[in-house]
Amino acid sequence: MTAWLLLHYKLPSKPSALRVYIWRKLKRVGAILLYEAVWVLPDNPRTAEQIQWLAVEIQEMGGNAYYWRANTILGEQEESLVQQFNEQVDAVYSDLLKRLENPRADLQEIAKQYQQASSQDFFHSKLGLLVREKLTSKRGEKP
Amino acid sequence: MKWVTWENIGVDRMACAWLIRRWIDPKAEFLFIPMGEKSLPEDAEPFDIPGTRYSHHGGHCTFYMLLKEHKVEDPVLARIAQMVDEADVIQDVTVEPAAIGLDLICRGLRQISKDDYEALERGQLIYEALYAELSRDEV
Repeated sequence: MTAWLLLHYKLPSKPSALRVYIWRKLKRVGAILLYEAVWVLPDNPRTAEQIQWLAVEIQEMGGNAYYWRANTILGEQEESLVQQFNEQVDAVYSDLLKRLENPRADLQEIAKQYQQASSQDFFHSKLGLLVREKLTSKRGEKP
Repeated sequence: MKWVTWENIGVDRMACAWLIRRWIDPKAEFLFIPMGEKSLPEDAEPFDIPGTRYSHHGGHCTFYMLLKEHKVEDPVLARIAQMVDEADVIQDVTVEPAAIGLDLICRGLRQISKDDYEALERGQLIYEALYAELSRDEV
């Protein structure tokens, strides 16, 4: 059973830049916003610590954050969550695979985006492995 | 002086302990309390515990705050602070690719150590080595 981290927060309405700032950080770690209400991430030592400090940051900004560790009660909901996390990274991976077909593809840029996506690939998507194999086999290939 | 932090130390707290001993309080003694423990020992300075002076503030890690509060000015330490920030705090923009590796090594170091005391002692070597190597760039 996967444990999940949930974050539910409110921020002062002004300045609105704070909202964008926190929102971007949550997107950056690959968190998913469920029904415009609660942010969710799979629990691991790294995500748990990152969200802990984000909750502290929100409180320092004059906001308030509830931070939970939770399990789903209904099994299929867990599958649906895992699927949502996979879809999120697979969208990036598919785009990278398409770009890798171009012989003039910017490998450095693709590798950078691959690394970012793989930091959010909590359930080891097969597409990610494919991007990785293509990238490493293209490396050093003479044009 | 005694310093106290939560158990299960990682990249930031290993860095802090090294910094404290090397630059701030050579006779520092370290204590560990369970994560989330509300009562802090009265005779010890807390660090990296949410809500305390030496903790994360303004989106920076505790190592960064210790440097700032103690006005330690050293370009190599500033670079290490950037790395620990990137390893421990979610960042929009990153400039130190070594940060991820540093985080992994510190996590692994805690895993293979019998307790936090041992992890802390071993962590000293990591940061001493990092400092030495980064210093070569500064000359």
